[in-house]
Amino acid sequence: MKKIGPPVDRVDGPLKVTGGARYAAEVPVARVAHAVLVLSTIARGRITGMDTGKAERAPGVLAVITHKNAMHLPPQPTRETRASQGDHVLQLLQDDHVLYNRQPIAIVVADTFERAQHAAHLVAVRYEAAPVDVDLLRTRTAARAPHPPYHGTVAQTLPVESRRGDVAAALAAAAVRVEEVYTIPAETHNPMEPHATIAVWHGPTHLTVYDSTQGVFEDQRKLAASLGLPRENVRVISHYIGGGFGTKGAVWSHVPLAAMAAQKVGRPVKLVLSRPQMFGPVGARPQIEQRVVIGAGRDGVLAAIRHEGRSSVSQFDQFCEHFTAPTRALYKCPNLDTTERVVSLDIATPCQMRAPGEVTGTFALESALDELAVKLAIDPLELRLRNYAETDPETGRPWSSKSLRQCYQTAAEKFGWSRKKPQPRSMVDGKLLVGWGMATATYPANVRPASAIATLFADGTALVRAGTQDIGTGTYTVMTQVAADALGLPVEKVRFELGDTDMPETPTSGGSCTAASVGSAVHQACLGAREKLARLGNGGGADPSVDEPFAAQLARHGMKRIEARYDAKQLETRDRYAMRAFGAQFVEVRVDPELGEVRVSRAVGAFAAGRILNAKTARSQLLGGMIWGISMALHENTVYDPKLGRIMNNDLSEYLVPVNLDIPAIDVLFVPEDDPYVNEIGVKGVGEIGITGMAAAVANAVYHATGRRIRDLPITLDKLL
Amino acid sequence: MIAAADLTVQRPRTLKQALQLLRDASAENQPLTPMAGGTDLFVTLNMGQRPSARYLDLWAIEKLRGVEATGKRGLVFGALATYTDCIESKAVHKRLPILVDAARQVGGVQIQNRGTLAGNIENGSPAADGVPVLMAADATVVLRSIDGERRVPLAAYYHGYRKTERRADELIVAVEVEVPDGTQRFDKVGTRAAQAISKVVMAAVGHRLAFGSVAPTVVRARALEAYVEAGGRDVAEAQRLALEDARPIDDVRSTAEYRRRVVANLVAAWLGGLDKPPRTR
Ligand SMILES: Cc1cc2nc3c(=O)[nH]c(=O)nc-3n(C[C@H](O)[C@H](O)[C@H](O)COP(=O)(O)OP(=O)(O)OC[C@H]3O[C@@H](n4cnc5c(N)ncnc54)[C@H](O)[C@@H]3O)c2cc1C
Repeated sequence: MKKIGPPVDRVDGPLKVTGGARYAAEVPVARVAHAVLVLSTIARGRITGMDTGKAERAPGVLAVITHKNAMHLPPQPTRETRASQGDHVLQLLQDDHVLYNRQPIAIVVADTFERAQHAAHLVAVRYEAAPVDVDLLRTRTAARAPHPPYHGTVAQTLPVESRRGDVAAALAAAAVRVEEVYTIPAETHNPMEPHATIAVWHGPTHLTVYDSTQGVFEDQRKLAASLGLPRENVRVISHYIGGGFGTKGAVWSHVPLAAMAAQKVGRPVKLVLSRPQMFGPVGARPQIEQRVVIGAGRDGVLAAIRHEGRSSVSQFDQFCEHFTAPTRALYKCPNLDTTERVVSLDIATPCQMRAPGEVTGTFALESALDELAVKLAIDPLELRLRNYAETDPETGRPWSSKSLRQCYQTAAEKFGWSRKKPQPRSMVDGKLLVGWGMATATYPANVRPASAIATLFADGTALVRAGTQDIGTGTYTVMTQVAADALGLPVEKVRFELGDTDMPETPTSGGSCTAASVGSAVHQACLGAREKLARLGNGGGADPSVDEPFAAQLARHGMKRIEARYDAKQLETRDRYAMRAFGAQFVEVRVDPELGEVRVSRAVGAFAAGRILNAKTARSQLLGGMIWGISMALHENTVYDPKLGRIMNNDLSEYLVPVNLDIPAIDVLFVPEDDPYVNEIGVKGVGEIGITGMAAAVANAVYHATGRRIRDLPITLDKLL
Repeated sequence: MIAAADLTVQRPRTLKQALQLLRDASAENQPLTPMAGGTDLFVTLNMGQRPSARYLDLWAIEKLRGVEATGKRGLVFGALATYTDCIESKAVHKRLPILVDAARQVGGVQIQNRGTLAGNIENGSPAADGVPVLMAADATVVLRSIDGERRVPLAAYYHGYRKTERRADELIVAVEVEVPDGTQRFDKVGTRAAQAISKVVMAAVGHRLAFGSVAPTVVRARALEAYVEAGGRDVAEAQRLALEDARPIDDVRSTAEYRRRVVANLVAAWLGGLDKPPRTR
């Protein structure tokens, strides 16, 4: 596999830096009108009156759509009847209920964006507000089991409870015990490109939508179902996406609303959310509280773990954060109890956010392990090695591959971990306290069914197509490499096209599954095309690309092109092996003891994630994940007013993420790993693992620096003084 | 929210024209909002708050630009003097180096290029970074109307949260400083290393001490200053006195308790360095 691996520059790079790459809102569409959403200012209650007269009379306004005059839609799915992961219960102006703060309650369409925005502010709304309950940590509402039958994460449905051995007995007998509670606030995705949709009707029954989405097919299904159209009448196109991180993993209300608005005004309609509108109506990480109880022997060998907790969900929809998933897989431990519960609050429905479950769960588990290491005076890395799981602790299956030990070694060596002084507050730099912390990273190796078509042309070039998305991760580039490799062509001779429901079906880009799933289909489709060509005769089983160029072969058979399709499924090895990527995170922080300011001064991450398709784009994914982990540890927090239920920091001035100066040089190291079982191309995916473990590594470093254990994210200055 | 069509912006070229426009507007009871860099005003516009629909853009009045050194220790900042002007001025580096520190930590480069000291003062945010430095340096705000000029000490400029001494027909035309003797110190405490709205700011020039983000306005620590001037050096007493003027609250950005502790810690650090020779550049 020669084309696979090297740090090939992004094939779409020149287009991106010259403005030639057209994102959803930039697609030129004749006569396009502009829509702006009006969002609710209360968090629960009813709309008792809406004065739209001023807005309707404002210059350029084409329509003001509210629940009074919105098109009647077929019955929408409810929490109980929703069909799939992406099938959110939406708010489509069908009634006067307000279910959460910043819910879409009207849509204003005008000939220019500025006029639509102006008119949107002229809509006057009267409410009957009801009391709200928005804070997981203060609510009196009891936790409950997530709603059956559906409570899946991106790639698979995970159990919300699991048991092995006898935890109670093992805890009672354990020489040492750690029992702590860890909390994570709601976090908001905020990709650079906000949600954006252009809806174009072709007659009353056919719709084309340009959307910024992680899943064109999910988009197509949901739009068709919401609007009562046959699925094949809806085409969704998404060629470039400026980040998604989960918020674009499923359709939210504004997408069908844009289509409704376009139908109302008889023109194409463009709807772009503003930055403040990215807070509220398009998902967030849930608020989470986790309790971890660990029992161990004096030697640090784990006897039992109980991991239980609750996460927030809306009153009207489903979502369950599977924070115990990493705990079930990470360490050898004979006795384990896990329980996940949810609490319904007056908030918008939370959703997947980069490494759902894995990042939140590892924060709690990896913090608790650090606490155990402190209690036992065992080095935290040594503690993890003593509990290394040689096989999957849950199923007993062998790993398809696991190189976590090498990850620990590589990262620890680069970081200089052996020079750590164990005592908290024992390392200083001038007046600053220096702290070192580490944690394990992990993410499941997900694969979902995907298809691709490869076409070889008489001019010696190839075109490979799959409906998938490039959410900024580098799909265009790595698929071009995979195809070039399978075809034995230079990268420049291969074009890869994506982002269109008219192309072969692929999964939503979530769960780090795109490279593995689509890559397998692309690889096989290309091999299929070669084989087809070879079967035409005179190939003699030899490599046609070497012996005789495609062009010549096709010409000899009087053909302009040859085409092959492949529908990739999960391999049956899935039933025999456990499959996960692993990594090790090491972090150094400097804390000002007088001010509580924390700065991360160094970070090293080593990861083993199967075959790396492109060293450059993979590094970017892991780096971005690690940076986000720092952000999660120190900054991110969606603040609700507990009385009014309003989001109080709905912009990037008050919702903090790190700036350049906050991020030190970060080392990303790859541990080579050859996995013949995981899928046809041996890829595990790198989109999410980089963020896992990171928040715990920072918290553990802060503890080492200051002697203070912060169990409630984010670790703000006030918690350290 | 204001529609672009409703906005009027006048752009005088001379100070006299500007002052006349202001006078006419306030006589008609339709005051004009002065605009310098616009970095505070645009935020309020964008958030749908409606401070005004009528603006007086000062940016073209060349006379108000720049920083001037006067006498041995004087600095005069024109109403359009930006943070970048401060960073680039040799005189500011020499005479009031903590203003350079503060200017470098305001926003990003774009904000430093547009944001002015006068705007920072008149905006009246308790979290302003330039104001504590100027207040600790005993700065004077020069206000002018078509009738004439008056000078108000910055320390007496605020009457309450975002309430200032300025009348609707007046402009800040300059900020004057005779930099007092003594060690200078500037501390900005924020969650991140840049682009941070301050949780606490402290600026000190000799015995003069000003705090941001701990009261409805930027404040001088008068009680503590008097104690220190009289020779007091007891840390606990100094901290207690500082908290007589610094009375922080809980808000979205931080807690009152945290701010009190930081004020106390900063006061201790300041006191420790007070009698050491001033730093030189
Ligand atoms: C991204 C960003 C980051 C920022 N970071 C910081 C920071 O770190 N620290 C900080 O302190 N501030 C910060 N600010 C706020 C702002 O940049 C400063 O307060 C700046 O000094 C304002 O100056 P300006 O010239 O832009 O004021 P403008 O917005 O033009 O005006 C502000 C106010 O002053 C009035 N005004 C302006 N000039 C005059 C005059 N000559 N006479 C009378 N009234 C006048 C205006 O009417 C208005 O009320 C930031 C702002 C942004 C957008």
